Amino acid sequence: MAVDIPKSFEELPTSAPRHIGRGRRRIEDPALLTGRTQFIDDVELPRMLHCAILRSPFAHARITGIDTQEAEALPGVVAIVTGEDALRWSHPAQSSPEGWGTHCLATDAVRYVGEPVAAVAAISRYVAEDAMELITVEYDPLDVVADPAAAMKADSPLVHAGQGTNVMMDRVFTWGEVEQAFEKADCVVSEEFRWNRMGANPTETFGCICEWDPLDLSLTIRGSIQSPSMFGLGRAATFALPSNKVNIISQPHGGSFGGKGGTRGTDVTCLLSRKADGRPVKWIEDRVEYLTAGGSQAWDRYYSASIAVRNDGIVTGLRVALVDDLGATGEAYGAICAAKPLAAFTGPYTIPVAEYDLKLVATNKVPSGPYRGMGPPPHFFVLEQLMDLAARQLGIDPAEFRRKNFIPKDAFPYMIPSGNEYDSGDYEEVLNQALALADYPALRSAQAEARKEGRLVGIGVASAIEPGVFDWNAYAIVGMPGTGVPEGATVSIDIMGFITVRVGFSLEGQGQYTLVSQLVSDYFGTDPEMVRVVYLDTQSAPPSFGPGGSRLGVAITGAVLGACDRIRTKASQVVAGLMQTEPENIVLRDGQFGIPGVPEAQMSVAEVAGTMLARSDLLPPDVDPRPEATHVWTAAGRTPADEEGRAKSYLTAAQAVHVVQVEIDRETGFVEIQRYCLADDCGTRLNPATVEGQTDGSVAQGIGAALLEEYSFDSDGQPQTTTFMDYLMPTVYEVPTVEKVAVVTPSPFTPLGAKGCGEGAIHTTPAAVLCAINDALAPLGQMAREVPAAPKRLWDLIRLAEDTSAEGSRTG
Amino acid sequence: MKPAPFEYAAPPTLDEALAILSENDPDEVKILAGGQSLMPLLNMRLARPELLLDLTRIDELGGISARNGGLSIGALATKRDVEDSALVRERNPLFMESTIMIGHPQIRNRGTVGGSMVQADPAAEYPAVAVALGAELVARGPGGERVIEADDFFITYLTTSLEPGEILTEVRIPDLAAGTGWSIQELARRHGDFAIVGAVAMLRLESGICVDLRVVIFGASDRARRHSEAEALLAGERPSAALFDAAGRAVGQSLEDPTDDVHASAEYRRDLARVLCVRTLTEAVERAEGSGG
Ligand SMILES: Cc1cc2nc3c(=O)[nH]c(=O)nc-3n(C[C@H](O)[C@H](O)[C@H](O)COP(=O)(O)OP(=O)(O)OC[C@H]3O[C@@H](n4cnc5c(N)ncnc54)[C@H](O)[C@@H]3O)c2cc1C
Repeated sequence: MAVDIPKSFEELPTSAPRHIGRGRRRIEDPALLTGRTQFIDDVELPRMLHCAILRSPFAHARITGIDTQEAEALPGVVAIVTGEDALRWSHPAQSSPEGWGTHCLATDAVRYVGEPVAAVAAISRYVAEDAMELITVEYDPLDVVADPAAAMKADSPLVHAGQGTNVMMDRVFTWGEVEQAFEKADCVVSEEFRWNRMGANPTETFGCICEWDPLDLSLTIRGSIQSPSMFGLGRAATFALPSNKVNIISQPHGGSFGGKGGTRGTDVTCLLSRKADGRPVKWIEDRVEYLTAGGSQAWDRYYSASIAVRNDGIVTGLRVALVDDLGATGEAYGAICAAKPLAAFTGPYTIPVAEYDLKLVATNKVPSGPYRGMGPPPHFFVLEQLMDLAARQLGIDPAEFRRKNFIPKDAFPYMIPSGNEYDSGDYEEVLNQALALADYPALRSAQAEARKEGRLVGIGVASAIEPGVFDWNAYAIVGMPGTGVPEGATVSIDIMGFITVRVGFSLEGQGQYTLVSQLVSDYFGTDPEMVRVVYLDTQSAPPSFGPGGSRLGVAITGAVLGACDRIRTKASQVVAGLMQTEPENIVLRDGQFGIPGVPEAQMSVAEVAGTMLARSDLLPPDVDPRPEATHVWTAAGRTPADEEGRAKSYLTAAQAVHVVQVEIDRETGFVEIQRYCLADDCGTRLNPATVEGQTDGSVAQGIGAALLEEYSFDSDGQPQTTTFMDYLMPTVYEVPTVEKVAVVTPSPFTPLGAKGCGEGAIHTTPAAVLCAINDALAPLGQMAREVPAAPKRLWDLIRLAEDTSAEGSRTG
Repeated sequence: MKPAPFEYAAPPTLDEALAILSENDPDEVKILAGGQSLMPLLNMRLARPELLLDLTRIDELGGISARNGGLSIGALATKRDVEDSALVRERNPLFMESTIMIGHPQIRNRGTVGGSMVQADPAAEYPAVAVALGAELVARGPGGERVIEADDFFITYLTTSLEPGEILTEVRIPDLAAGTGWSIQELARRHGDFAIVGAVAMLRLESGICVDLRVVIFGASDRARRHSEAEALLAGERPSAALFDAAGRAVGQSLEDPTDDVHASAEYRRDLARVLCVRTLTEAVERAEGSGG
């Protein structure tokens, strides 16, 4: 049965005004705002126990003994697990580069501070924590390596003695005649950059309730789980269970941004439930656990990069060398973050050739994981600083320099050297809109005035691509060879004409349930209030991946509209039978099935559904009597990766230009963002209010990355930022009001022309803020190469400049 | 992040609280006021008292009133009480200004004036203002009542001269003398964070000459301290940018053992102390001139 999915609003079977494309109030919000949404910590199960995890205080040590006797004797303690139980009942994590994964509890040695060593299940978290203090662990400390440059040296301590090296991967990918491009260049700009570890901090940390069934030998896991089906497959592998014996129930969760890893804690909790004869065990990760050893830390990177440029300002080549510190095991798909830049390696530019020298390195730090954007944001920070350096060197305005290098709008679909294809765009228009919104010439003249007074005012203009609708093939270079990421939905109309949509993902904050209700009501011509969206666990849901990789808005649109179309086909057969005509003659329009132009030959959607459900005697013999259908959407045309990692991977390419004005306090190094303007194009906007919300949140996280957020460690691998006193999230006071303008270039490849937009601004914000800071520092001859641009770092640079100029005036 | 087991008492009167203290080993008792500093310490098991003595039901420890040319602030008065007090606004704008620099409304709703004094965080605003204003801290213990000068009260990081078994009952804040120009400024990574460095300056102008100088730096080292070298440079002089710079340099040089942490190096803190000294003196002089002094 051919399924027809509308490519634009106009192709929907309803007339304007429609619900889609408008900023509707979210159906998720009343329960969230009144505190009725059930998060994992709200769930209580009979006979439930509570888990506390004992963690390593050392970054590297051999475990020579564990004594749990005293803890076991504490009243209220039901079970204790250690590495021995992990060895007996589980396998090492599969989400690391092959061979680097470890068990969920340390078995022989600990490799980072916070690594789980033992865990207690007790009648309350209080008792569990009391018991934890009674466990004695003997450690024999080993040499620590916390810095990837040191870790790559031949005489470095080894994080995994058995590996013989700390280098997980070392490869150069070359796409085109890169050598030649650099030889022939009029000007080559090279720089080194440091992006410090930072990452996701959702309001809710991770939590789960795990239940082992000792008779059925199966697992039921409830939790604040972002990707339930993947999570279930991972647990099945870890516990060597058939995949149909693991059921994942994803509770609504308070944000994720990639930080809802939680796999280790879940595996520990599953072991506890098994040891406690199947009693359910709850583990709620607290914030100190989260900040010390949670799934949130990402992008611990050292870059050295160059671009080749012609005198006319055309960039002809890009080289990026990345040393990516993945921490002790690289688990939880941290390595993917180094692979994803392939989906947009050369950004919005026509740079024809590129090279990626990629080293993944293990150190004695908590494994680094995914974070909103999954890796490109630091890559674009680097690329955009190089673009500014080149522009400055050639005396070209940075906005104009970018304009010269943009992929022109008639060049789409456009294949970039690293193999991905961009769907559509009008980058110049986005630039024009951003510059107009900011009144760029006025900003520049105000800056000139300020500079005369010696003030450090800077303007950043940066552009980046947000790859949307991910596919596994994008990560082939780090060992994820699959292709195809499904999203399914089941739409059913009941006997009264009310419509239920069943999906496999729960609430995370992006408002996709509202989107579903908009889509269905615009398909069947009903009120959005008549549509109910229901979550199903992995044992009942249609194939689903859920949110991630800026995909769900597009993917669920395809799934829902596909299911609606399948119902339309069935219903048309029914109506044709009743009206004694052929199904091709039946048209659905504005909630009525019937023969166009024949007012008496029309039936409402509710009438058709009611007839199907109640009067099977009237139906044509071959018709399925249920007004219900499931459709599973995947992106078409994805190609397997070649040996250089090239693949058509992410389906869409959204683009943005941000214009930022900052002033640096010359005496203190503090940065004030004075103006923040952006234009972006993520294709058709299904719910503009949602897009704006995603943009605002993502700018905030980008500002956190640019100025505040940093997980720091001392040379012994001890974390220095384990509370919110020291790990600084931006608050409403640090995030300026963002002025926005939208450009809409629909995607030719997606349902309704929408593009992925969930990760959004964080691709551009750190780049733009650092461009502005470096523009401010330019008169001093200094440049910020390290993110976050904390005041202490800028103060150092300004002092350096003043010392140099004092030196100069003394000698000169 | 759950506290170790403890007993809990919440007596309604100060006498009963003191009795509980004397009946127990005072080293094993922790006093609870607003809990904004203590609760995290309990949850992280960095504080593990046997008994938690909650003072928040003792009405006599609250309240703000005028007293002998100053303000009497009950130790249990919250920062929110201060913020809402017309009396404070009128009598001591410096104390008012320092109050709204503390954390966020949520913290000020619960956190108490006494709690901030006893916590003695080196970066806290209240101890700095107390030192600058020459506040008195009143304590009750087994030996009766004791009045402690602010400068003698704050010893070092998180340490005061309060004895185990003593309860801080009241903070006496002298009014600003007529014509006083004042300023409090701080640099924090984010709005509402503890300061990396802060400064308080106070002075009066008599016929254009600086008198009654106070320069206090906080957040930069183990406790808020007056910087008499800087004060001496300005005392008896006409204010000028050059003198402020000299005072700033004197502060920078005399700062002992500046704190070095993830947010700021010792050297950076030293320089920020210099900068804030200059900035607060400049603002204090502007205010003094504005008041016609
Ligand atoms: C997010 C956040 C931001 C903050 N920002 C700031 C800031 O910018 N500036 C700032 O100054 N503070 C800040 N604070 C700390 C806050 O001001 C606290 O309220 C204050 O440190 C302690 O007051 P409390 O009443 O909460 O005391 P508690 O936490 O209850 O007690 C603190 C200590 O004082 C002792 N104590 C309390 N009252 C008495 C008494 N009457 N007699 C004897 N001992 C007593 C307790 O035993 C304990 O040791 C912040 C706190 C948070 C959580």
